[in-house]
Amino acid sequence: MQSYVHVILAGLSSGMFIWLVASGLTLIFGVLGVLNFAHGSFYMLGAYCAFTVLKYLGAGFWAGLLLGPLAVCAAGFVVERFFLRHVYRIALPYQLLLTFAFVLIFDNLVKIVWGGGALSPPSLSFLGGSIPILGRNFPVYNLFIIAVGPTVALLLWALLEKTWYGRIIRASSSDREMAASLGVRVPALFTGVFVFGTWLGALGGGLAVPYVGLLTPGMGETIIIEAFIVAVIGGLGSLKGAFVGALVIGILSAFGTRFFPAFDMALTFILMGGVLLWRPQGLFGATR
Amino acid sequence: MEKKGMNRRQFLKLTGAVPLVAAAGGLGGGLLTPKWVWGAPPKVKGPIRIGYQAVLSGTLAGYGEFHKMGAVMAIEEINAKGGIAGQKVEMDFRDSTLKTDDAIKNARYFVDSWGADFLAGIDSSGQALALAPVMAQLDRVLMVTHGATEKLTEEFVYKKGVRQIFRNCMPTYNDGNAAAFIAKDFPAVKWATVSPKYEYGFTCWKMFQETLTKVKPGVSFIAESWAPFGTTDFRSHINTILDAKPDGLYSTEWAGELISFLKQAKEAGLFDKVKYVMLPVGAAMDVLEGMGKDMPDNIWLSARYYFQYPNNKVNNDWVARFNKRWKHYPAYVSETAYSAIYAYKAAVEKAGSKETKAVIAALEGMEQVCPAGTRVFRKEDHQAIYDVPWGKTKSDPKYPFKVMGDMKVIPANAYFNRPPFEGPGTVPPFK
Amino acid sequence: MRAQTRNAVAASAVLLALCAVPFLAGKFAIYLTMRIMLLGIFAVGYNLLLGQTGLLSFGHGAFYAAGAYGLGLFGAHVSTHPLLGVAAGVAAAVLVALLIGYLCVRHTEIYFAMLTLACGMMVFSLIWNLREITGGDDGLIGIMRAPVPLFGGIKIPIGTDGQFYFFVLFFFALGVWVVHRIRQSPFGLALAGIRENARRSEFAGVPVRRYRLAVFVLSGAFAGLAGSLEALLESNARPFMAHWTHSAEPVLVSLLGGMSSLAGPLVGGAIYIAMREIIQRFTENWMLWFGIVLLVIILGFRGGVVGTLSALFRKAAAKGEG
Repeated sequence: MQSYVHVILAGLSSGMFIWLVASGLTLIFGVLGVLNFAHGSFYMLGAYCAFTVLKYLGAGFWAGLLLGPLAVCAAGFVVERFFLRHVYRIALPYQLLLTFAFVLIFDNLVKIVWGGGALSPPSLSFLGGSIPILGRNFPVYNLFIIAVGPTVALLLWALLEKTWYGRIIRASSSDREMAASLGVRVPALFTGVFVFGTWLGALGGGLAVPYVGLLTPGMGETIIIEAFIVAVIGGLGSLKGAFVGALVIGILSAFGTRFFPAFDMALTFILMGGVLLWRPQGLFGATR
Repeated sequence: MEKKGMNRRQFLKLTGAVPLVAAAGGLGGGLLTPKWVWGAPPKVKGPIRIGYQAVLSGTLAGYGEFHKMGAVMAIEEINAKGGIAGQKVEMDFRDSTLKTDDAIKNARYFVDSWGADFLAGIDSSGQALALAPVMAQLDRVLMVTHGATEKLTEEFVYKKGVRQIFRNCMPTYNDGNAAAFIAKDFPAVKWATVSPKYEYGFTCWKMFQETLTKVKPGVSFIAESWAPFGTTDFRSHINTILDAKPDGLYSTEWAGELISFLKQAKEAGLFDKVKYVMLPVGAAMDVLEGMGKDMPDNIWLSARYYFQYPNNKVNNDWVARFNKRWKHYPAYVSETAYSAIYAYKAAVEKAGSKETKAVIAALEGMEQVCPAGTRVFRKEDHQAIYDVPWGKTKSDPKYPFKVMGDMKVIPANAYFNRPPFEGPGTVPPFK
Repeated sequence: MRAQTRNAVAASAVLLALCAVPFLAGKFAIYLTMRIMLLGIFAVGYNLLLGQTGLLSFGHGAFYAAGAYGLGLFGAHVSTHPLLGVAAGVAAAVLVALLIGYLCVRHTEIYFAMLTLACGMMVFSLIWNLREITGGDDGLIGIMRAPVPLFGGIKIPIGTDGQFYFFVLFFFALGVWVVHRIRQSPFGLALAGIRENARRSEFAGVPVRRYRLAVFVLSGAFAGLAGSLEALLESNARPFMAHWTHSAEPVLVSLLGGMSSLAGPLVGGAIYIAMREIIQRFTENWMLWFGIVLLVIILGFRGGVVGTLSALFRKAAAKGEG
């Protein structure tokens, strides 16, 4: 019993963590129609900036979490305003290639600025440590992640459904020309959404600092594929889908690694393949 | 922490300088390199060119930087004292990445395009294996300074006769066999593992199981959990171990993944439940520093070189000089890189030539005094034999990280596999 | 007519230059040229799927690996005859491509891409885990280059790089010629029609799904050919050939050079390999500079290098005539 509960807890925390990273990716695709391969790099930059605030400015983790991702927004702004904007109307492969170029650039920049060695943050004091659940210790921070996931989901839902901004964003994403003719400054809006999506990714990176416990220049690569898979399973562009997809992937992966280790390397891919074969547009994606 | 910043700036200057010098030397021919006058007319044609490749990108990028620190330091020292056989030493350092075809391409570039006399480096066992036939074709010596698979020396050097490969780094024998010798004195009888899900992890666990069963009958191996390369979340693996309730845990996780594993295992309370933990590459400098004060005590660990062993003048001096040069304690790949360059120096000067055949003959059986101790390059399989310590983690106020206490040194000859590497009497324990 | 003869002359010139390389260039240049040709075979076949039919696959590494492992295992267990080995590799690749293609071609666009990515990674995982057969992450090592037996007991050696070069060149020329013929054929034109408007093509009587599967398998065969040749060149086969990062290479290279022409992927491959090599001679930060060059090419050279150059060419010619 203890074993199953802990597997579920592990699955919930990794699922919510992936949701946090995938939320920005999904938002950007849903509104801008762009698949941002460099989202993993913003995640990585968020982690490194948060770590810098934490370690070199001595301000503590929570200040790092607040300030770090904001710094990354500048990078997001530059990428969208000066580069990505030019490829909106162009075929998907070129968008992927452009954002891939940024992955190379950011990965290398991180190595130049922070060095190639793995950075290890000190353990957290507030929300650090573990509490016993059914006799086995579970990290408090993971419980925090499990709580943050749905909170962010709710906030995003409220933003998009209940606010005036949200309405404008939704309108512009479904019909760009109409929105523009009604007076919405679409390019500025798109930049704003992209920067917000970047911020979400960087926030994921900041939250990763105590969760993963290690920062390396390659950390964006693995996470971006997982985030992609979750976004595709949920249906590209659907935040609800990404949330559900992340939950499903998180829990199934935890069970898979624990009880069916033979498939673990391809498990998420198998799951994605299975979902796509059954529902080609993903769980909550729009049917063509 | 500010020290690290200074170190990096110095380091970056060198990062720019070394390849540029090498490139200038390579591309500009005689035009850009100044004419050096070294005294006695050289018997060996200069300059001596060493092509070095290690991982400089991705999650293991730190290792390439550690290699470079050791190699650059060696070359600076050697050139300051007149070079090898009176000739200046040049190095071209490239990112091996983790992909086999990049390693092969770099090796061919070094030899066919840049004119390397010797090659060194290689972190990945898979790359080392794939390079063996290539080195035979290129006919240059490759001194492997990290890749640890025993298959490299047992199969390719000994059985298939690729005499161009040498390895000065401790191979899997320490991770598998020596660990078993240490473990036999523990009361632990039920062992489990969380290990990397690739050949290195499989091989070491197999070796540990086989050897421990021979030296301590009655042990059982009750659980194993394999973590693919790039795992950042070890919690499911930790759960598997906690469910199995072993007495002892063995893990050949290394570098950043080991740091993540240890942190997460500590959070889950693993070290309260499992009293005997063995980490064959846990004493690597990046792991010790990365864990810092968070490293649990009384964990048994070892490494391919540990900076406090041997406690003699050669090593202590070297560590101090390294620290002064790089503001950093040496990683094991820094020591192997440093010693590899000096091994080439000794071999070329002994042979009076840099021809591959002569250098191979000079290296075989050669004894080399290194910071890690005295290395002997075994003639049969070109594997360097030297001793490394095992110890239990404990605090030391002099260092910001945990150090090895209760050091135990098992002589390498007691646990290295022996030629002909097949049949009875070739694997430990030896009578 | 004039454009055709112009292209034929250009192609002959390139072929002649390639034949001359082993006699004029250094060993490393010979090796790099072989790698460029291998990537060229991979990419030119792949571009039949991407540029001609408009399908983006991220799983073609699986077929490349099938070719390499097919040849390696055939050589280890059956015969070291190089031509039979290549045939075995291509056959293996075709088989895997049939299986995966059948599953995937009913989807399009991004979902097709993700599904092929998933399938490719499953093959990767299989190769990694079936250690007994494939050698796990060590891969197959020590693949031999036996001489090619011909009629009358003649054996052509391909052991040295200089000799093997012509083996590769033969398949490269053959492969490029085959792709050229396919592009010009009714089948090829139908593929272009599917790319432009699949629904209209269907109404016009083109069996869209079957054609998509056919071109998928065809491009997979080319990947398998490149894979088996690489296994012979490097003497090894390894799981990362099936990884999606390797599958991304023909995409990258086709986009670089230009998706709409025959020469595009070839030029892209040459640029990719040569540029990487040159950058690495000056700095270790090759990723940064390569990324910057990519940005410049994407933003400045719409339609890839070949596409832009031929557009400039046409403009210049038009100006000349005007």
